[in-house]
Formats: sequence, structure tokens, C-alpha cells
Amino acid sequence: MPIKVQIPQAMRQHADGQANVDLAGANIKELLDNLGAKHPNIVARIFENGQVRRFVNIYLNDEDVRYLDNLQTATKDGDVVAIIPAVAGG
Amino acid sequence: MSEFKIEKVDMSKDPSLERYSRQMRFGGVMEKGQRKLLDSRVTLCGCGALGTVIANSLVRAGVGFVRVVDRDFIESHNLQRQVLFDEADIAANLPKAEAAARKLRVINSGVTVEAIVTDINRTNIVELAKDVDIILDGTDNFEIRYLINDVCVKFDKPWVYGGSIGSHGQTMTIIPGQTPCLRCVFEAAPAPGEAGTCETAGVLAPIVSIIASFQVAECIKILTGQPETINRELIYVDVWENITRRIKIAPLLGKVDCPCCKHKKFEWLEGEQGSQTTSLCGRNAVQVAHRVAAKLNFDELASHLKLMGGDVSYNRFLLKFTVEEYEFTVFPDGRAIIKGTSDLDKARVLYAKYIGH
Ligand SMILES: [Zn+2]
Repeated sequence: MPIKVQIPQAMRQHADGQANVDLAGANIKELLDNLGAKHPNIVARIFENGQVRRFVNIYLNDEDVRYLDNLQTATKDGDVVAIIPAVAGG
Repeated sequence: MSEFKIEKVDMSKDPSLERYSRQMRFGGVMEKGQRKLLDSRVTLCGCGALGTVIANSLVRAGVGFVRVVDRDFIESHNLQRQVLFDEADIAANLPKAEAAARKLRVINSGVTVEAIVTDINRTNIVELAKDVDIILDGTDNFEIRYLINDVCVKFDKPWVYGGSIGSHGQTMTIIPGQTPCLRCVFEAAPAPGEAGTCETAGVLAPIVSIIASFQVAECIKILTGQPETINRELIYVDVWENITRRIKIAPLLGKVDCPCCKHKKFEWLEGEQGSQTTSLCGRNAVQVAHRVAAKLNFDELASHLKLMGGDVSYNRFLLKFTVEEYEFTVFPDGRAIIKGTSDLDKARVLYAKYIGH
């Protein structure tokens, strides 16, 4: 079973319109690198100077990776990774 | 067979409580909680989509004092989701805060509603926040949210963040020192155009109601003195894609190197962040703020603008005029929203040309 990566609405135009992309990867970094290899234009929307952009959060099974091992957080089959930017509208 | 204790409320003792009887019958509120609500004070920052739903619920719930702060006027595309406004408000050229207050006072004459038409910034936020128990977020941008966050952490006041766009939204409750603050969770504001706005990505009314309702529920828990019942997760809902998430954020407290709640550096409140001239993202409009210290005289300004060939109308809340391809909305404090450009320099030039400096 692959790892499901959920793409936010604002970034889908860079992922062929897909809401979810199934990927493999031993940790968050590998997973997002694999996402970038498939959909190169999404990389700049998630990363800036090699870091996750400061208004974008990465959640692994509804946990914020910043209190886990950040980009080194290990992933396994069946995990769900959500990329969620801050929501500004009101 | 309810688990809740049913409290008998003798309305004959205090008939003013009758309108709240169903809320008081709920075990989480009861008469004690209702009296606390009636003694409570709230500042609502922003009265658009989230803000109108929040204000409506707070006033109906009997929150004793509600201060509604908003910088904007009403346009027809607001009516799809901004539940306190109608066509007559647009025809009357009312600012949102004033139109909302008029409706709210009709809904419940037993509470106090204060309308303030202003742009929230670091020069006025302390004044707006210092005499209330909680702040609710109905704004549409992160500049003001970080300002609210700074003030609330500095003065140890709870606040509830909410945001919605498209079919999804987020909300979290901040109790300084007990929960992560907004900057713990979102370290920086999205760059203009990065996060999408309601103008570019659209928004569905149901997600607005859901997020705003979560915010109100949190507010009622806190105001009735039950902070232990608050939601300590980041709630994320998408009504179109059928997603509900509860993201655990509590461990972020102390774990992230937060400039605000860990280092007590209030960059938005005390720094030079924020500007007088702001592009209203996605609206092809620019706000030019506070160039004029004194209160504007609309009679004089209107006759001056008519001489310059503009089409002018005004009341005591705002003045509208159209000239070239631009639509100006001017407020008595000298602030103007200029529609027809997103270029800040162009907007400054237009302001200087027509309104002065
Ligand atoms: Zn913090």
C-alpha cells in the first residue's frame, strides 16, 4: 500500500489537478522529493531555499511533523500526509 | 435519559432570561453560564463572512457587549454569505460595522453592540482589545491576525482564529501559555496571492458557517468559565471533499522557537510590520490609510470633487465617488479604498490628486 499525499486546492494546478497522489518514500523528505520528481512545478510552492515554506504545514496522520522529526520523520505504507497552507480568507 | 442535569429555571424571577431558556436548559450553560455571558465583553475583528455569522450568534446567545470592528463597505457579492447584510444596506451605502450593528440591535435589544469603522492596526488594537474578555477573528488576512495574536499573548487574553476559502476552512483556539499561539502553528503569513483569497478562489457559505460556529462555541466555553472544554486541535474541514481533520498541535507549544509566545517579541504590535497603503488582494483595489489626521468634512470634500468632475454621493459614514475608471470609498478618518487599481503607487497618486494629504 502506498503513502497517500493530499494536495491542497491551491497547489493542484501543479499536480495535474489531482487531490491525492500515491507515492513511496521512507521519510517525509523522500516522499516530497518523489512528489517533486513527478510534478516539478509543485516544488517551489512547498519549498523555499530547501525549507518548507513558513505558511505551509506538513501533517503526518494528523500530527505536525515539526514536533516529530520534521522532514526526517519516518513514513510507512498506509500513512496519510497532508500538505496544508494557512487559510487567510474570512 | 439525558446525562445532563436539567436545571429548572424560574423565569418569573427574571423574565429577561426567558429568551435564553433553551440555551440555559443545556447542561453546559445553565443559568450560571447565561449570567456570565450577559456579563461578558467581546471584540470581533472583521465583520465579513465569518464575522457576520459570529456576531449574529453572539448577540442571540446574549453576550452582553459586542464590539464589531470592520474597515469595509458592503458590495452585492457579499450577500451570498455575509448573513447580516441585505440590498437595502447597499443602497444606503452603509459600512459593514454600522449595518451589522443596526441588525444586531434589532435582534437583541438587551445587549450592547458597538460599531467601529476603522482599519485595525498597531496604533488602535490595544484600545480595541484591552477592555474585553476575548477576541474573535473575522478578518480576512494574516497581518491583522498576527497583530491580534501579539496583543492577546502580551495581555494574556484568549482569542479564536478562523479562516475559510473555497470549500475548506480552519480554526484554532488560543489561550496564551496553555496552547500554541498562531505563530507557533503558522510561522509566517502567506505572500500576497499565495494562499488564494475569496476573490480569486471563491468561497461557499456553508464552510463559513461551520468555521464561524466552531469559533462561537469556543467563545461560549471560555466566557462561561470552562476553558478546560476548549478544542486544543487545529480543526480543518472541507465540505466539498468530505474531509474533517483534527490536527494535534498541542505538542508545538514550547517545541517551536516562537518569537511571540516563547520570546515575547511582539513584532507586529511593536515593530514596523504593516503599512499604510495595502493592496486588497484579488479585489483590484488599494486601501490608502490615515493620511489625514483630522476628521474629514464630507460637505467640503464633495463640492471639491464635483468641481473636479467626479460623480459623488455621501452619508455620515462614507463618501463614494467615481472618476476616470476609479471608484473611491472614503471614510471620515481619511482612509480610502480605491477600486480599479492594485498598484500602490498609482493609488497614492490618485489619493493625493483627489483627496489631498
Ligand atoms: Zn507561539
